[in-house]
Amino acid sequence: MNDPPLVGPVGRPLLAAVTLPCGADVDLLLEQVADGRGTDRDAHQQQCVHCQAALSEFTALWVPVTELAAAPVPAPPGLAAAVMNQIRSHIGDVWYTLEITESGAIRIAARIVAALARDCARMIPGVRVALGRSTQGSSAALAEKATVGHRHPHAAVGVLGRTAVVDLAVAVTYNDPAHQVARNIQRQVITTLRDQVGLQSVKVNVTVDDILGDDER
Amino acid sequence: MMAAAQATQPAVGDAYLVGRAQEGYLDAYELLVQRHSGMAYRVALRLTGNHHDAQDVAQEALIAAWENLPRFRSGSSFPTWLYQIVTRRALNKVSRGRPVSSLDLLPALADPAAEPATQTERNLAVDAVTDALLALPFPQRAVIVLHHFEGLSYAEIASVTGSTEPAVRSHLFRARRALGTKLEEWR
Repeated sequence: MNDPPLVGPVGRPLLAAVTLPCGADVDLLLEQVADGRGTDRDAHQQQCVHCQAALSEFTALWVPVTELAAAPVPAPPGLAAAVMNQIRSHIGDVWYTLEITESGAIRIAARIVAALARDCARMIPGVRVALGRSTQGSSAALAEKATVGHRHPHAAVGVLGRTAVVDLAVAVTYNDPAHQVARNIQRQVITTLRDQVGLQSVKVNVTVDDILGDDER
Repeated sequence: MMAAAQATQPAVGDAYLVGRAQEGYLDAYELLVQRHSGMAYRVALRLTGNHHDAQDVAQEALIAAWENLPRFRSGSSFPTWLYQIVTRRALNKVSRGRPVSSLDLLPALADPAAEPATQTERNLAVDAVTDALLALPFPQRAVIVLHHFEGLSYAEIASVTGSTEPAVRSHLFRARRALGTKLEEWR
């Protein structure tokens, strides 16, 4: 630790020099070591005491840099969740109305319905990846209008009030028949949303947009 | 719900997830965030020098990536693009900034097999590197972090920094010399 630094020509520290006495470029030697090639010595370097000394010196010098680079730096817990919470706060929720009584309205967010559908789809044999999204387009606008400004109990409950439209994008296993897997998804998701949430009318759009081999895990 | 299910999900490529996220599948973007938030924070920490700023930079960068997803060109690399956003946000933070402090930059390296004196020496060496890194001008610090800490090629760094490969190499030569000189002084 207290060894004096190797000196280059004219007694200056090595890194103050541009070349070694043999003509070797100091920057290129430092690059060689820093890129992990310090022991890959070419024909000249194998014979040259100046190059060998410089490569050894730079190797010792660069060790703490390599160690720092290899040190794990875990992300703070909650970073990913904080990012997603902020993104979700900017996206307006679409609501499905389940029931309206004198006591008030029971609603469920469309994104919750999509998450339930997605998690259900992931359990279906043959499904490797499943992603879900909230209702989009004209159905979303209609569902929203059914719940806004509502005044009369039961008036908004009907086809729109209890209808959900869910889009699922899935990747399936190569050998499983995609069409059958998609049908199974639709059937199971519809049952799950009816049983767990009380949604009576559910449309499930399944897009199979990737096929993964067994070794793609 | 997402984390438990995610534990059993096979790896799909970033390109697949970006495509779905662009179509409005928010949980696809959530998978990208889980996959790359560690990198965003790590790079931000090494560029800004403190945990607080690094957390702000990482969070802002990941949200900015979401907001700009419609402009992301298919066929490009999502991590390279995110490196670009993180690096620029870190530069903004450092430019506005308060003096960097290396006191809380990284935990001490723990090696259970090392003798206590050796462990102390290694921690001092790591501190010296950290201080030297933070003393570099930002462009030199960025190329050192991107190449020697993150493993990006010269071409990738050129893409991240909006530069050319010869310019990246030139910056790296100067940065290594500056870093090496400081480490020589410490020794």
